[in-house]
Amino acid sequence: MKALTANRLTDGEVVFWKAGQWVESFGDADLFADDDPAGEAAEAHGKNQPTVVVEPYLIDLVESEGLWAPVSYRERIRALGPSNLNHGKQTAGGAVIAALLNAHGGARSKGRVDLIKRK
Amino acid sequence: MPSRIKLKDGVFSLVEDPFTTVSDDWAIPQGDVIISLTRFQAEGERLLSEGRKVGVRLEADEEVEALAYDLPQLSVVALAFPKFGDGRAYSYASLLRERFNYQGEVRAVGDVLREQAGFMVRCGFDAFEPADGSTPEVWERAAHRFRHVYQRSIDRRTPAFVERGE
Amino acid sequence: MYQYDTIDKDMLADRSAEFRGQVARRLAGELNEDQFKPLRLRNGLYLQLHAYMLRIAIPYGSLNPTQLRKLAWIGRTYDKGYGHFTTRTNLQFHWIKLSDAPDIMDHLAEVDMHAIQTSGNCIRNVTADPYAGATAEEIDDPRVWAEAIRQWSTVHPEFSWLPRKFKIAVTAAPKDRTAAKTHDIGLNLKRARDGSLGFEVMVGGGLGRLPHIAPTIREFLPAPRLFSYLEAILRTYNRHGRRDNIHKARVKILVAALGREEFARQVEAEWEKIGAGSDLPDTELARIRGAFAPKNFETLPAQSEAFEEARAAKPAFARFVRNNLKPHKVPGYGIVEISLKAIGETPGDATADQMEVVADLAERFGQNDIRVTHEQNLVLPHVKLDDVPAVWASLAEAGLATPNMNLVSDIIACPGLDYCALANARAISVAQHIAEKFADPDRAERVGELKVKISGCINACGHHHVGHIGILGVDKKGEEFYQLTLGGSGAEDAAVGQALGPALPYDKVADAVDTLVEVYLRERSDGERFLDTFRRTGVAPFKEAVYAVAD
Repeated sequence: MKALTANRLTDGEVVFWKAGQWVESFGDADLFADDDPAGEAAEAHGKNQPTVVVEPYLIDLVESEGLWAPVSYRERIRALGPSNLNHGKQTAGGAVIAALLNAHGGARSKGRVDLIKRK
Repeated sequence: MPSRIKLKDGVFSLVEDPFTTVSDDWAIPQGDVIISLTRFQAEGERLLSEGRKVGVRLEADEEVEALAYDLPQLSVVALAFPKFGDGRAYSYASLLRERFNYQGEVRAVGDVLREQAGFMVRCGFDAFEPADGSTPEVWERAAHRFRHVYQRSIDRRTPAFVERGE
Repeated sequence: MYQYDTIDKDMLADRSAEFRGQVARRLAGELNEDQFKPLRLRNGLYLQLHAYMLRIAIPYGSLNPTQLRKLAWIGRTYDKGYGHFTTRTNLQFHWIKLSDAPDIMDHLAEVDMHAIQTSGNCIRNVTADPYAGATAEEIDDPRVWAEAIRQWSTVHPEFSWLPRKFKIAVTAAPKDRTAAKTHDIGLNLKRARDGSLGFEVMVGGGLGRLPHIAPTIREFLPAPRLFSYLEAILRTYNRHGRRDNIHKARVKILVAALGREEFARQVEAEWEKIGAGSDLPDTELARIRGAFAPKNFETLPAQSEAFEEARAAKPAFARFVRNNLKPHKVPGYGIVEISLKAIGETPGDATADQMEVVADLAERFGQNDIRVTHEQNLVLPHVKLDDVPAVWASLAEAGLATPNMNLVSDIIACPGLDYCALANARAISVAQHIAEKFADPDRAERVGELKVKISGCINACGHHHVGHIGILGVDKKGEEFYQLTLGGSGAEDAAVGQALGPALPYDKVADAVDTLVEVYLRERSDGERFLDTFRRTGVAPFKEAVYAVAD
């Protein structure tokens, strides 16, 4: 399963694609099955919005407590906030945040690998 | 005829470009031409003897010293920016003016953006082919963004440390 | 302190206006991200994991109270009420909005501050000894030269689009508190036999993927010739540094590829052609030097009764003095180190409240002089010994008096994966776990000088290569792992650390450091620091202990 993420241009906020909009909470994000072309279509759409978001990319997800969470630690930090201070999205609390905090990743998120290669 | 932004006596204006830039695999047409360093080394003497004006386009990885001997005969040296962040041409332009006392046109070509106008002018470029649609007015505004400069450079603007003494 | 004149202030205002225009064009879509990114980097603005990060320049680590208070205000108004001091003595805010950045630049300019060239492929903040003007050891005040280089390098016409970043440090004392040999150019102030002033010029240091200690390319450069020589170095680099591979683009690669002698020969050949026309006139150097003229120090006895009484009466104060107070060149004064490494806190972070406490102390007791060190701590360089007890009490109340300078819990750590888009692993929590193991100040003092440096990725912003214990975060199959190194040093005895063994998982790192310390305590001879013992025994006893436990 995948989701589409980016940083909002005006303030750098981590955002996720939801039905043509960009939302701040991972829990609200659209989910795409791995082979669903809608994922890449959404990514292409995002890349066509240079005054809205910067560098959209798809991230891999894993199940956690009945919800979905990013596989990679890096993407979980982006969805939560830093681990040294109670700042950022994690202050919202709730089930989605809890699922993110308790998720275990193993493999690298493909989106991150692609970004590295692109640079 | 295409035009380029020309800097003369402190004024930026759009001036028709009498030179045709000819790539290596094209036949050289009549009139004034700008050709590559390699081509100039092969055919330059002949072209100059035909009475036309000749310029050389120097790529970023070509040494400006290769032109030293021929500079008095060259009307234009076009310095290429393969990417706007490739700053080698600033050194080449500075050396052309300062070390080789080159009096002809030093032209910025390639990925040439208004954000770099100021640097180019200070290093002795006096002609520009912007890749971002900049007009001479835009170029002039960009070139004069800073009321003061800290360093001496080719443009002979008074550096801050001299201003302070005044 | 250097006072900005109209010209300096105009530069900041013009730069701010330029940046405002660039941001507007980006937001309107007239610039794409590829075109805009180098421009915003040149104004210190990174796009990081959670938001934009703004890196504000603190030239040669020097601040006055007005400036520090403005930073506190910016932190409260535009960020989350704190800032992070970096290993290049700058200040970072981690929650900045692009849309606020132009206003922030204007506010910074009000107090003669800016974010010019704190990132990008250009000459970065010039750093200098944080004890400049206070230590008896210095040959000359390095701030004079750092300020002159700052101006020379600001919007330099020829050297603003380099193959890669370019970092310069100026040191002037036998003890190097700038890590000069890890810089692209390290300048070491010296006197020739005839007493004339000059520089040992070192070029080609750098950390990151391929760490290098800078070789000396010129033993003695007469000081008045500095700027023509810098021009020769930068022109050689600008022309010949690699542009094809971002990982091979620093000047250290060029120096290594050509060899020290050939690189020096090319620089000297260019320098000869440049001649003296590029050098800064004596009048300008004298003007800058005048700004750093010695303060009005009082004539005091070397010993202060109030100080000695407090030291005898309060063991906690005595411990603070033992670790955090350094000798001053003027009798009756001291250099006070302010630790931003409280146990369990984020290394190098200061809250807005804490910044204001430091500003107040500098104003009341410190000649309005505050410094930032490359080890992410602060300094009040001029404090009367009479006043140190009061300063300490205020610092203690604000959580700024941890008596751990240069001890194992005085850890350097980059922001790492908690904040940085480049990181592979977290650095902050690793630092906190290690510091907690050594929370007992007696134990920390027993261990003595031990510099632990942690980087969350190979870019080495935490300077792990030159840690006595270096810790590098790596990504191993999506998990955080850490490669430990031993025996690095960023001081005048600069050296790159040696790998300890296979990378360790996140939850084993603090234990490993504990084990390393135990080995040191077991093996050490009298007077040996951790670094000295390692240099004597080599890696074997340390490796054996750590990996036996890990198994």
